[in-house]
Amino acid sequence: MIITIDGKACECEKGEFLLQVAKRNGIDIPTLCHHDGLPGQAACRVCLVEVKDGGRSQVTASCVFPVDHEIEVSTNSRKVKEERGMVLALLRMRAPGSEVIANMCEAYGAPKIGRLKPVVDGDKCILCGLCKRACASLGNGAIETLMRGTQKYVGTPYDQPSADCIGCGSCAEVCPTGAIEMKDEKGVRTIWGSEFRLVYCRECGKLIGTEEYMKAAGNTDDLCDDC
Amino acid sequence: MADKILKEIIDRYPRERRYALAVMQDMQRHYSYIPREGLELLAGHVGCKVAELYSMATFYKALSLKPRGKHIIKLCNGTACHIRGSVNLINGINRELGIAPGETTEDGEFTLELVNCLGSCALAPVMVVDETYYGKMTLEKLPSILGEYRKEAK
Repeated sequence: MIITIDGKACECEKGEFLLQVAKRNGIDIPTLCHHDGLPGQAACRVCLVEVKDGGRSQVTASCVFPVDHEIEVSTNSRKVKEERGMVLALLRMRAPGSEVIANMCEAYGAPKIGRLKPVVDGDKCILCGLCKRACASLGNGAIETLMRGTQKYVGTPYDQPSADCIGCGSCAEVCPTGAIEMKDEKGVRTIWGSEFRLVYCRECGKLIGTEEYMKAAGNTDDLCDDC
Repeated sequence: MADKILKEIIDRYPRERRYALAVMQDMQRHYSYIPREGLELLAGHVGCKVAELYSMATFYKALSLKPRGKHIIKLCNGTACHIRGSVNLINGINRELGIAPGETTEDGEFTLELVNCLGSCALAPVMVVDETYYGKMTLEKLPSILGEYRKEAK
């Protein structure tokens, strides 16, 4: 099947998501919460595109829009620019501490909203929930979204170090805005209030992970993937 | 001892995740809050992580993770009650019991909660203690109503 994205004919299979098709064809759609390993998030709404189908058009999140027949897509129409700009401007209010979002606002022309104040000063989290899904999908489930509404945040039970955390750092890795603090210092990793001893490859000295992570992964000979 | 009661509550339900909320409600009813050991035992019972249950427990207003008082005072601060002076009642309760919304008295007798509407705006301002509604509340009525519950406690 062939669909048109920004005037370019793109081949795709039925059921593929728009974002995926665009990426493969070298068309850039900005996004924050999309991760290829954890698809279907659709939380940040930055990947908005306009889909024209017959006489009708709709602005929709491309990461969860499945292609099922020939459509015309625009990633840069006036409507998309306006709505994406507003989404970014609001995200900046949610996470004023995030450089990634500030840069995106600059690049995609987000309007300044004077009448709103930042939710929490210096916060970087947009509450997309990618971190907790990464944690759960690895079978650890140490972090979750807690509370609700304006008080919602990501954390461990009772805001205390969690016995379920293995210090793998996957949450910090997938976080699009760098909101999760992780420090590797003097052979010790600090994350979510816990400390973990780091393990380095005994051949090449490359960092492999934490002791707990090695145990969970069943890696007993302290070698990295390359050695 | 506490463990035994917790186990009893948990064992009433099958070992499936969908019963987690029901178990937590039962714990809430019995203890007036959800003890930490309860969450941990329940996670083992239904086979999920403590974080998941903790997330649920913080999401629902009906569930509490801190011990609550024997008597729950719900003070309506909805539009009608607010206009009819519910703020004065908040201050009045603070003077009587020394607690702000969300707090529990030191003797564990009373917890004050603000709610957004109790659906009985004609009676504004409304206060509910446990299951009893007190309509058209005034500062003057407060001491005697709270006194009844205090007496009951002794």
